[in-house]
Amino acid sequence: MNLTPLTRRRLASFRANKRGFWSLRIFIVLLVLSLFAELIANDKPLLLGYDDQVFVPILFHYPETAFGGVLHSEAAYRDPEVKALIEAGRGWMLWPPVPYSYNTIDWQINEPVPSPPSARHWLGTDNVARDVVARIIYGFRLSVLFGLVLTLLSSIVGIGVGAVQGFFGGWVDLIGQRLVEIWAGMPVLFLLIILASLVQTSVFMLLCLLLLFSWMQLVAVVRAEFLRTRNFDYVQASRSLGVSNFDIMRQDVLPNAMVAALTFLPFILTGSITTLTSLDFLGFGLPAGSPSLGELLAQGKSNLQAPWLGLSGFFTLLVMLTLLIFIGEAVRDAFDPRRSVVGVDAP
Amino acid sequence: MSDRILAVSDLSVAFHGKAVVHGVNLHIDRGETLALVGESGSGKSVTALSIPQLLPYSQAGHPTGSIRLDGIEMIDASKATLLKMRGNRVSMIFQEPMTSLNPLHTIERQVGEVLFVHQRLGRDAVRKRTLELLELVGLQRASERLTAFPHELSGGQRQRVMIAMALANEPDLLIADEPTTALDVTVQAQILTLLKDLQARLNMALLLITHDLGIVRKIADRVCVMHDGLIVEEAPTKTLFTAPAHAYTRTLLTAQPKGNPVPAPPDAAPLLQAEGISVHFPIGQGFLKAGRVLKAVDAVSFTVRKGHTTGVVGESGSGKTTLGMALLRLVRSKGRIVFDGEEVHGLSNKALRPYRRRMQVVFQDPYGSLSPRRSVRQIIEQGLRVHEPQFDEAARTSLVDQALEDVGLDPIDKDRYPHEFSGGQRQRIAIARAVILRPDLIILDEPTSALDMSVQAQVIDLLRDLQARYGLSYLFISHDLRVVRALADELIVMKDGVIVEQGQAALIFEQPEQDYTKALLAAAFDQKVVE
Repeated sequence: MNLTPLTRRRLASFRANKRGFWSLRIFIVLLVLSLFAELIANDKPLLLGYDDQVFVPILFHYPETAFGGVLHSEAAYRDPEVKALIEAGRGWMLWPPVPYSYNTIDWQINEPVPSPPSARHWLGTDNVARDVVARIIYGFRLSVLFGLVLTLLSSIVGIGVGAVQGFFGGWVDLIGQRLVEIWAGMPVLFLLIILASLVQTSVFMLLCLLLLFSWMQLVAVVRAEFLRTRNFDYVQASRSLGVSNFDIMRQDVLPNAMVAALTFLPFILTGSITTLTSLDFLGFGLPAGSPSLGELLAQGKSNLQAPWLGLSGFFTLLVMLTLLIFIGEAVRDAFDPRRSVVGVDAP
Repeated sequence: MSDRILAVSDLSVAFHGKAVVHGVNLHIDRGETLALVGESGSGKSVTALSIPQLLPYSQAGHPTGSIRLDGIEMIDASKATLLKMRGNRVSMIFQEPMTSLNPLHTIERQVGEVLFVHQRLGRDAVRKRTLELLELVGLQRASERLTAFPHELSGGQRQRVMIAMALANEPDLLIADEPTTALDVTVQAQILTLLKDLQARLNMALLLITHDLGIVRKIADRVCVMHDGLIVEEAPTKTLFTAPAHAYTRTLLTAQPKGNPVPAPPDAAPLLQAEGISVHFPIGQGFLKAGRVLKAVDAVSFTVRKGHTTGVVGESGSGKTTLGMALLRLVRSKGRIVFDGEEVHGLSNKALRPYRRRMQVVFQDPYGSLSPRRSVRQIIEQGLRVHEPQFDEAARTSLVDQALEDVGLDPIDKDRYPHEFSGGQRQRIAIARAVILRPDLIILDEPTSALDMSVQAQVIDLLRDLQARYGLSYLFISHDLRVVRALADELIVMKDGVIVEQGQAALIFEQPEQDYTKALLAAAFDQKVVE
């Protein structure tokens, strides 16, 4: 890849920030692990041997009849009866480290739920006997992916609106800014609550609702950058070459604005995750049963006698948001021209 | 008190361990003017900044040398000593008067601060002395201007305020780092006369740093020529100009833009006719009420003939750049523009595109006119992609190579980025971008102003060469009359948005008719102030 010296200097500056670079490594490891959550926490065995045949229940759907049962529905591998059937056929099962999925209800638990941490449930169970570790792993993945998609979509909209306002200026800018100001003046949380109670919430629906309000953060930065750059000589030169406005924006102006936008992205990501969590906490977020950190916090609040719920949720969010903030700071400093003065030519 | 005010011996300056100035020796006596001459990057500014120890010392250092200011060693001097010397015994004037003054404070406060810090005068005394100083530097209506902010003053006035600040404590040594480079020629002449006059009155030593030999000849007693961090020659001004000893000095002296315009048939057909071009900007306009109007360009008419060069000269604010932008249809204007017999005024962007190809532009600042994030190849072929979309990669590459050769660059460099090139090379890239489409007319907006003298001469030779080869017409906008004289067939002199004088260039340079033109010529060629 052909990197300009500026990009190289920024990368070096990012690497030199130990805290940020380590945060990024840890975050990537956590993200990759959570992407393979099905292999870590699942209520189906990874591999299953039965009658000298090998089954992969995690990928394929096997009816109970395959193991000598009577039901035509998928085998419930955690059911003691199914386990007995498999053992009867000289079978074996290889379980993931956490043998529960986010929605697995542990029917065999023999204490009142929410149950405290134990060897069986490392972080205890919630009020319907679901394993907290499994819910955190899936919840982390959902939060981060949701945050990433929302950040991506709101950046696209925000950069687009900011670019048009900044590049054309004048009346376009004046009217656009007023509209953005009015839109930004809405009481966002209340509107989200009202909207979320009107429509059937799904992940996609929630994404759209949050997108309605999250695109405005980048508009100001991108607009300012476009306003500054649009009368630069090299933009004028492109104009006088007859290059179309769209191409000028894309080739000449946008690369400048991308620096400012990139600096903001990690913070938009944390903001998105926080918004999703607070909506879940209030009960207006993801559909019931989804692995959600906000819901875990809400359970912690209503079950104060079970502090492992609230504490688990709190520390997960703490780690996730702290890592993202550290990464964001490192990115911001790497792009800050005043901080990366090393190697600048002598006057 | 000795006469030797500054003695620099064996001074070296290094940035990050890399030496940029090697063993410089120089000295100045009371009442003397020493000029330090060299091109950009020669280390003259770094040398000057080390005298009051103003370099960024976290990155820079002096491996060897001593700087004695009136007998006091400045290198490694204590902070208290430095504070006592700076602004008091030694003062500096910088190149850019806009950024050297604090935009948030009034003139009175900025000049007064110097007095307050070093002389501990009372408020009334400070005010009285400030007024005196501003009158000394010839700021008109000084008492009214005390409460003015820097942006309310013109460039020349700001430079006067800077000089007043520098002189506030009657320093022994005044260091002027390119004090007039950012100013118009007539103002340049005024400021230089003022400096010379003040020096004689206050018996100061003056260290003048400049790249402009015209200024040196006018006011310096002795000259040091710097090249690559070394002083290659030191001589009294007269000796230097009559018998330069070092080869580099001779190059500098002969690097003046010279030669004559490419001969063109005087009756060539008109290529561009502008009739009554006006550009008016509304200023202080409210939301609904109509405000005042700034007439940047007002009813300007002229003709550019095929193969001719029309020079447009004038001081900053005379509207010459705006005129160029109006002809390129980059700002809204009134009037008729006829290009090669066809009306182009009022055409839509799309209908204008064929004319865009025939009319190109080269801007003043080679650092600003090339997108820093695109390679040289991408920059140059941009026009081809718009106007010749049917060309494939190979055809474009061969045209880019040829354009680079045309402007004297090596086609191997086409995948590098603009920041890897020097100012002169960047300007060549900008010219390559313009000529690759084989235009009929190139509007050159101060193409040489940001370049060193010797590079200027090369660029002008290149432009003349391209004009002869491709039969180009130029509209050459410049404030530098020496450059215009080397290129222009016709000349337009502009002031405050209107044409003061226009006609054959040779004729105007010989016998200017208008007083304004006379003043411009006198200031440019003799550094003389004509009232």
